[in-house]
Amino acid sequence: MSETDHPPDDGATEDRSSDEFEPIQVFPEAEAMDLRPGADNCYKCSTCDTNCPVAEVDDEFPGPKFQGPEQWRLKRQDDHDVDESVMKCSNCMRCDSACPSEVPLSQMHNTARGEYIEERMSRFSREYLRNRLLANYRRLAPLAATFPRTANFVMGLSVTQWLGEKTLGITSERELPDFATETFREWWTERGGPAVESEAKQIAYFHGCYANYNTPEVAKALVRVYEHFGYEIMIPEQDCSGTPMFANGMLEDARRAAETNVAELAAALEDGADIVASCSSCSMSIRQEYPELFDFEGTAEVAANTWDALEYLRVHEDLEAELADASLEGDEYDEFAYHAPCHARNQGLDGQTVDVLEAIDGVEAEDVGDSCSGISGTYGWKAENYETSMKIGAAMFEHMEGAEAEQGLTECPTCSMQMGHGTGYEITHTLEILEAALVGDAGAA
Amino acid sequence: MATDTEVLVLGGGSTGCGIARDLAMRGLEVTLVERGNLTDGTTGRMHGLLHSGGRYAVSDQASATECIEENEILRDIAGHCVEETGGLFVQLPDDSDDYFREKLEGCRDCNIPARVLSGREAREIEPYLTPDIERAIEVPDGAVDPFRLCVANAVDAEAHGARIETHAEVIDLLRDGADVYGVDVRHDSGPGKRRHAAPGSTEEITAEYVVNATGAWAGQIAAMADLEVAVRPSKGVMTIMNVRQVDTVINRCRPKGDADIVVPHETTAILGTTDEEVSDPDDYPEAQWEVDQVIDTLADLVPILEEARTIRSFWGVRPLYEPPGTATQDPTDITRDFFLLDHAERDGVSGLSSIVGGKFTTYRAMAEEISDHVCGKLGVDATCATAEEPLPGSENLAVLEDGMDEFGLRSPVARRSKQRLGSRASDVLETDDANPVLCACEGVTRAEVRDAIQQSGTDLNAVRIRTRASMGNCQGGFCSQLLATELHPEYDEATARSALDELFQERWKGQRHALWGEQLSQAMVTYALHATTMNRDRDPAASDGSLEYGAFDDGEVR
Amino acid sequence: MGRSSTEPSTTGRCAEVAISDDVLVIGGGLAGAMAALAAAERDVRVRLVTYKQSTLRQASGLIDVLGYAPDGDGPLVDPFEALEGLPTGHPYERVGSEAVREALAFFDEVAGDAYVGDHTDANALVPTHGGTVKPTARYPTATAAGLASDNRDALLVGFETLPDFDGPLAASHLAAAGVPFDARGVTLSFPGIERDDAKVTRYAHLLERDEAVSVDDSAATVGARDALAESVDEHLEGEPRVGFPAILGDERADEVRTALGEGLGVDVFEVPMGPPSLPGMRLSDLLYDALEDAGVRVTSGVPVVDYEVDPRGSSDTPADPSAAKTSDDPARGRIDHVVVDRNGAEVPHRADQYVLATGGLVGKGVRSDREGVREPIFDCHVPHPEDRYDWFVDGVFGDQPYARFGLDVDRELRPLETDSRPTFSNLRAAGAVLGGYDFAAEKSGSGVSLATGYVAGRRASTAVIR
Repeated sequence: MSETDHPPDDGATEDRSSDEFEPIQVFPEAEAMDLRPGADNCYKCSTCDTNCPVAEVDDEFPGPKFQGPEQWRLKRQDDHDVDESVMKCSNCMRCDSACPSEVPLSQMHNTARGEYIEERMSRFSREYLRNRLLANYRRLAPLAATFPRTANFVMGLSVTQWLGEKTLGITSERELPDFATETFREWWTERGGPAVESEAKQIAYFHGCYANYNTPEVAKALVRVYEHFGYEIMIPEQDCSGTPMFANGMLEDARRAAETNVAELAAALEDGADIVASCSSCSMSIRQEYPELFDFEGTAEVAANTWDALEYLRVHEDLEAELADASLEGDEYDEFAYHAPCHARNQGLDGQTVDVLEAIDGVEAEDVGDSCSGISGTYGWKAENYETSMKIGAAMFEHMEGAEAEQGLTECPTCSMQMGHGTGYEITHTLEILEAALVGDAGAA
Repeated sequence: MATDTEVLVLGGGSTGCGIARDLAMRGLEVTLVERGNLTDGTTGRMHGLLHSGGRYAVSDQASATECIEENEILRDIAGHCVEETGGLFVQLPDDSDDYFREKLEGCRDCNIPARVLSGREAREIEPYLTPDIERAIEVPDGAVDPFRLCVANAVDAEAHGARIETHAEVIDLLRDGADVYGVDVRHDSGPGKRRHAAPGSTEEITAEYVVNATGAWAGQIAAMADLEVAVRPSKGVMTIMNVRQVDTVINRCRPKGDADIVVPHETTAILGTTDEEVSDPDDYPEAQWEVDQVIDTLADLVPILEEARTIRSFWGVRPLYEPPGTATQDPTDITRDFFLLDHAERDGVSGLSSIVGGKFTTYRAMAEEISDHVCGKLGVDATCATAEEPLPGSENLAVLEDGMDEFGLRSPVARRSKQRLGSRASDVLETDDANPVLCACEGVTRAEVRDAIQQSGTDLNAVRIRTRASMGNCQGGFCSQLLATELHPEYDEATARSALDELFQERWKGQRHALWGEQLSQAMVTYALHATTMNRDRDPAASDGSLEYGAFDDGEVR
Repeated sequence: MGRSSTEPSTTGRCAEVAISDDVLVIGGGLAGAMAALAAAERDVRVRLVTYKQSTLRQASGLIDVLGYAPDGDGPLVDPFEALEGLPTGHPYERVGSEAVREALAFFDEVAGDAYVGDHTDANALVPTHGGTVKPTARYPTATAAGLASDNRDALLVGFETLPDFDGPLAASHLAAAGVPFDARGVTLSFPGIERDDAKVTRYAHLLERDEAVSVDDSAATVGARDALAESVDEHLEGEPRVGFPAILGDERADEVRTALGEGLGVDVFEVPMGPPSLPGMRLSDLLYDALEDAGVRVTSGVPVVDYEVDPRGSSDTPADPSAAKTSDDPARGRIDHVVVDRNGAEVPHRADQYVLATGGLVGKGVRSDREGVREPIFDCHVPHPEDRYDWFVDGVFGDQPYARFGLDVDRELRPLETDSRPTFSNLRAAGAVLGGYDFAAEKSGSGVSLATGYVAGRRASTAVIR
């Protein structure tokens, strides 16, 4: 040991006053978080593993118990060799609701994935670039939406898809989603904002990227249904919810997006609105992942006051009575094969849609079971995961085909893609049925 | 008179194994006998601190100097047993500035590298430290695995021709007039590797010189030859946390006191300790208040400990000794230095020395001094090489760390396995056979378990101390049965079953002191698995009567 | 509770309209599912709220009723005979032996072909994955060919990557237990498994989907079922039955077992395993299908964190509070609604009658810390020794007090206060949250859950109708 190991000043008393210490600075970044104490809750029952749709079809993935509490417990502060299999986790988060003992599994996966990207994946690798691209769909979508017809045309070209597979590792098996000719936000502005004003009943709508750029009809359905119940709707500024970024370990991107969202949504709360989302992954992200990974001012309040769109009505309105008077005639709304997205399951919402639709005369929704659709956001878009993704989805496809219905129903945009891809069915969002039942098919703008 | 061995070492702790290795390396013929498993006495019941000497820097500077010297040697010769964690002496608002300054000066006086950190700097190193912290002194404390270190010494002694007998209890120290010439031992299951069910036997082992390295039990051994060694055994509790809340040794910077240290140990953190004199090192109370006290007191330093999961507690008995007539009242004030009692000088009885006192970190230096003494007695002229020769597993560690081979294992499992096996890793882990993880808590694979069984026979506790299997959060709930399975078919079913029962009961013993919250839930999971699902508690194979199978449902619908 | 939130600033704005049902069952394990199914037999609206997945998925899937008397006598040939002699306070004593029989009959109806054993009152002795045998009253059809009282010889097949079950060791152990047949074991590698740490669900899935696997490093592939049958076939020495660890498929377990049996020309059975347990998962799925068919509304993934009592008091309580209290007056009145925490939003759920089936120390319906043991939702009284060191005994399989932690109940299964009054008029408890019995030693866990779940559900729906 050298002399330099000795401090310059033996007294060292001058340090003592400078100890105003903010704990937040101890864990500056999510990927540097120490989650070892989370392993305290694990009693090794493996219930998480039995719920993992990836481990069931691919034994390269060692399951959430290893990936979460075991890997964390084996870790020393300066170890940075997160096992590469963490990238095989699809972030469906089923392990969270499985664990009978409250181990923060998905938080552990998210953090480990962030660390893996940080420490072990080259910034210049094809995989990194591709993941970054998929994670940041929100950044690309506006471009495509500006020239939707060109984008749809170009993306549909098989050469483009083939190039996607070769150069970026995005599977050519899937058709890229169409972009709407008019985004939801454009429609909203065009429409002149809210049609209902209310002091007492206000909501701030977090529409997310997909309902804005690809399926504005879902967002419009939400507007019409909520206005039917007399709510004044605000559409705050918003960034991507972060779901695809968490799944790809892009925690810095997610942090930036979350910071914007929390600030905007907290402001809406201040104004007296509650927050509702129509996409189950967006609501999951704001409710669970934000408070687990970030601590911006207002994160907890925003999380605690964010609701799934259907859940909110169910709790705050007498939805059942309202629907009891409604009926839907015709084949179009006859029967649905309903898939509860994993991220809805995680919020305790898996039984909700079937429960609610039961009240509408003429509509049947049959739950096709608790299996995962397999696409898990961007996961199934990666060429190397395509096969796994379809294996996971196989049970759902079979159950859909076994059901009476010839069309599908869900609340998650990527589950919807997978359902359509696997069965060729048309897939509807639950809010669209509510819109038809309460407002009528061609709900006035 | 021809003897069975030149030197007979009694006690398979760090001192005994260190002496056996030292003498065997000098070319002497050595036999070591141990009542239970290696480390079963005090060595396996310590907090795993590799002292920098900082703890003695104020009160006992001679010990402090010796510690830092040995600390540096062990990093070299036992790299795979040592984790260079660093240590902090943390000052809280109640702790005196004067003592802090004395500690720092003491470290400097003893050549212990020491650096003052602000509270903020200390918390950047260890985020779970209390925000109240005033400042800290950083020293090169480390963590050491006493099991691995002790076993490595024994293995190397064997490699140099020594005979190591575990489960061989000394039942008589043989004395002929004024000369001690050997012992009678009782082998639990015949000599050699442990084999459950093998019949016990007794053996007389004669030697030119006997070294009584039984620590806290030295008085009992000496008494067998009507000699008196007044050991003052002092117990201390250690509580094992499920995870590492800290990766640095955390000491409270204040004069002697209970519950003032947290040592990161492998996957866990160990809280210590207390200091209370006991009359019998095999029989003393293990009380709730001791556990509560270490948790509550150390939570002042690391608040998260208050609610964190502990997986077990254990007590160790220090082999404290002071020369007759010193009569120190408080055991904390008894010196930690060691004493070599040459019974020829002391009592006029030749052929025997007893070693008492001392501390784990300086085991090698103690062994060297005692070996010099024994060589002098036997007229052997040989020099000590233990400060230079690496222990088995610690050769060429740099090569291992650079090596990317993960032996087909997941990264963290490969990393932990390599840390445990050191330079033996490829010998043990390279296999064409299926190599599933058997202990998922600690990341121990079948290959490593089989290697340990090769070394130690049917004793699964011996497998445990070599591999850490069953030392994680389920405490053997899920893996104990898998470990026992590995004994079969080399050993028969009844042997595998009694080895399992023994390990399972041993794992329960320490868990009793952690039975609340998560560990109580864990205990219930384990109980349900072993009793409900496997019916191990009422196994018809273990009962005398035969079961009338015909009276039960045979599946036929009648 | 883990997610309960007490700070008003982070709590969701209170909802005005509670979700409302007749019977609300809290807990989704065997007891909760039985309670909900039994309640739904009547024309009442039943909801089951379950937080995390239940410990049923960790259990072997066997339906034990009583394998050993509390004094250790056993294995019992006839569990029903022994029910009469159980001590006061034992859950079976609370509901009575007739109710146990009714509950089993109800279970038999729900389980249909999936379970057998109802042809006799006698217990069956089933081989365990640890190697010995255990007494049980009902067993999955998948296990039926493996009974130890069946004197046909058996081959036990284990896999080198599934260390939980070792065929040769289990076979020797069965011999030591004196079974009336020859058992032989063999350890194979499982065709199609690539990694040594593949999960049991992966094994099941390979067989369930009959995935194409390559054998002997050749490019040609065969179905996983054929590949497995082929690798076992060469080790058969005329045994008429072959046992595997319980990984033979999931939803299509019958199909997998039949295919293997046909391929080998033998009867195939599963040896029940510890967690994670496919038979436990299959039983759980079976119950949830039954719940759906029975019209029970299931809300999962969210915890019940709190409750409110009815400010008007209990309908059973005399209007005049000064009126003399009888010992049957509920100490805390009547539950008006419970509060479900959805990621911070507190959603009231109202019902007329409630069933608490949240499990024991493992399911966390009973929790502990250094100070004591408690029931976390309603803070019902959990009797336990004050000194933590009296919660256990030194022998690991001794008479463990902690194994009996749980609620005392009256014959209506209502939790009792320290003064023996019921805690609430409309709360009943069932399953492992109950105390006074050591299910692991007695081998009575599933039977108690069935019987008390059934009785609690029946009584709850009766009270609604009344």
